[in-house]
Amino acid sequence: MVFTSLEFFVFLPLALLGFALLPGRWRWTWLLLASWVFYGATRPSSLVYLGAVTIAVYALGWAIERAAGGRRVALLIAGVVGLAGSLVAFKFYNFAAGEFERLVGGGFALPRLGAAAPAGFSFYVFSALSYLVDIFVRRIPGKQGAVDVALYLAFFPKILAGPIERAPSFLSQLGSRVPADPASIVLGLQLIGWGLFKKVAIADNLAPLVDHNFAIAAFAAPIELLISVYFFAFQIYCDFSGYTDIAIGIALLFGIRLMENFRRPYLARNTAEFWGQRWHISLGRWFRDYLYIPLGGSRAGLPRQYANTMIVFLVSGLWHAGLGYGVGWTFIVWGALNGFYQWVGLATRPLWRRLGEAWPRIAQSGPLVVLRVVITFHLIAITWVFFRAKSIGDAWMILKKIGTKLPDIPSLITSYPFTAEHAFGAAMITLLLVLEIFDERKSVFARLAAAPVVVRWSAYYLVIFGLLILGRWQVKEFIYMQF
Amino acid sequence: MKNLVRSAFVFLAIGLAIYAGVYWMAERLVYATGRSNPLFKIETAARTDYDWVILNASHAMTLDFADFNASMERQTGLSILNLASTGSGPLYNRFVLEHFVRQHKAKHLLYVVDEFGFRSADWNEGRFADAKLLRRTPLNSAIARSLVHYSRDEGVTPLAVLDYLTGFSKINNRERFLRDQWEGEAQFDRVYRPSPPVLKKRIDYLYPPLVAPELVSRYLAEFADLIALAQQHGMTVVLIEMPVPAQFQTARPQDPTFAAAIARLVSDRALTYHDFSAALPDARYYFDTDHLNRSGVTAFFEQQLKSVLLATPATN
Repeated sequence: MVFTSLEFFVFLPLALLGFALLPGRWRWTWLLLASWVFYGATRPSSLVYLGAVTIAVYALGWAIERAAGGRRVALLIAGVVGLAGSLVAFKFYNFAAGEFERLVGGGFALPRLGAAAPAGFSFYVFSALSYLVDIFVRRIPGKQGAVDVALYLAFFPKILAGPIERAPSFLSQLGSRVPADPASIVLGLQLIGWGLFKKVAIADNLAPLVDHNFAIAAFAAPIELLISVYFFAFQIYCDFSGYTDIAIGIALLFGIRLMENFRRPYLARNTAEFWGQRWHISLGRWFRDYLYIPLGGSRAGLPRQYANTMIVFLVSGLWHAGLGYGVGWTFIVWGALNGFYQWVGLATRPLWRRLGEAWPRIAQSGPLVVLRVVITFHLIAITWVFFRAKSIGDAWMILKKIGTKLPDIPSLITSYPFTAEHAFGAAMITLLLVLEIFDERKSVFARLAAAPVVVRWSAYYLVIFGLLILGRWQVKEFIYMQF
Repeated sequence: MKNLVRSAFVFLAIGLAIYAGVYWMAERLVYATGRSNPLFKIETAARTDYDWVILNASHAMTLDFADFNASMERQTGLSILNLASTGSGPLYNRFVLEHFVRQHKAKHLLYVVDEFGFRSADWNEGRFADAKLLRRTPLNSAIARSLVHYSRDEGVTPLAVLDYLTGFSKINNRERFLRDQWEGEAQFDRVYRPSPPVLKKRIDYLYPPLVAPELVSRYLAEFADLIALAQQHGMTVVLIEMPVPAQFQTARPQDPTFAAAIARLVSDRALTYHDFSAALPDARYYFDTDHLNRSGVTAFFEQQLKSVLLATPATN
């Protein structure tokens, strides 16, 4: 079931009604059952995978809690290897087998995995891994209630595409008391509305043009490719952050606060800020806490810091493989390119600091901030080409075609026959950016809460009717939920 | 709490009022831009009595491209209403005919038999929920009642009824300001250059593997009902097969059982049947793999169809 389907708009009120009517101690059980219904609705066999992961994690959590010394470590390793191994196998086995056969040649054939991974698998496996590690390092006790652990993994707003919530903050909210106050409910509904708007009115309206031009990249004009690269940057942002907003909003209706996952990423002033503080924050923090720091982080000398940074981005590239655009080497390049940006950032950080100290007014000046934001956006947009293209060759060709015609772009823009779809896409992106610039200074939702009722309601009606009139409701999937 | 309930009520009431306004505007746009939707054609038909009504999927739609229907009317002196719609099998066509006979009459029904329309629910029940058709279908209580009946008794999804009644597909129509025209009509003057991969793709699309052979029997029964309905309303029924290119004719699956069933129906119901499928084998008469272009339609009309239209005697 997806958030934009009619089934979901029937399911959600029923889930909320049951939750509200039941006595406190049964509410989380109800929510767990609702989550299983949500997850199994499209593909019931998905519940088998979720059930297996839940049972394994619950049992391992107990065992780690009780064990000591080497046995404790062995149990953690078994859990990590089992979970990460299943993720790797599902994601890469068929791809790796194909690559191996191509390398060996001579008609050599390896067997293939018949089953595809269920939607959201990589998200709840990451949640499961963090749960085990958190028990191991005693951030949380291993003796958790079975319903609580199962709900932590299955909670329907986040199971398909996150945020990758941490067990300590999630489990601590599961009391018998339901803390959903009216303000949380209003904020939840606002987030759901805005998330839906980003998904169906912005992302899904940008998608056809992007899909078309990336599919015929070899024949598309440079200006068309440039527009598609820009549009894709906003398509993937609105698709993914739209999902997250809806997820956080729904969770609030049940009185559960999920972590922030996006913070106006295209207003980042450098790529470190983009990845560290603004884009897919829950994944970035997961990698920081469960990979970067255990590898030594920045404490083991500069060469190790560089190596650890690159490892994190390469693993992130691998994790992203298969998110709607197949599994391929493009994701390794995407990860490596982002890792390279961090290297450049690390290497030049002392220089920027010295320059900032020498000319503080210039460093904080508006035009320079805007310039940095624009440069950062373009650096990220270049990486999205590798994310979206069918192959490294295609991505390179797109960048080359755009690059060679870059000096002519102003004249090409004036002569290009823009369509209503282009104008609509550009208008939606402008609306988004204007709202995000306002939001950067003070939350738009907080502004709305303080605004007169006429303004507030007008905004709500605009979003609701914008969804009805402009939304593309036929698209049934979010990019990030496809693995 | 009382204030909250009152606010919610006012918010909902204003929202519903805006919705009604948006719905009204969407409905106006249906009339302002309408053209090829069969139910729109019935609603806006210039007359109540016709000599001929044409039903089928897109193959028959070509007879109404670029005002060719008006040209046929001029050349024959007959009144013709083409109610064909893309991808529609006998169930959807029966639904259209039922609506037609509520307030209109016709002397003849020309039904273009296409085997693919009998093979899949996509071309039958599925058509009722197609947003492309729903967004151009005018709001009408008789259509609504009929849709409810089809949903209750014929396996049409209730979502189609919900969509129709709420006007969602009209409100959400991305082509709301564009004329209702099937994309094929824009290619009417084009000449098809045969391409085996394109032909294969088209055949695979129209004739997917028959997963449930009993479907054919079911849609044959629906077709028999359609014919019975037409005959009850005094129409002489003529079945034809439209011309297709030789490559298409060779590539499409030929089911002898289906042909036998149609032959039985023709005999039992005293219908007239003309197989024109091999009449224009040359690809130059088509704008794509299987649709007649302007010169194809002209040739077909002059060589075959005109005499059928003029020579068929009326029942009454």
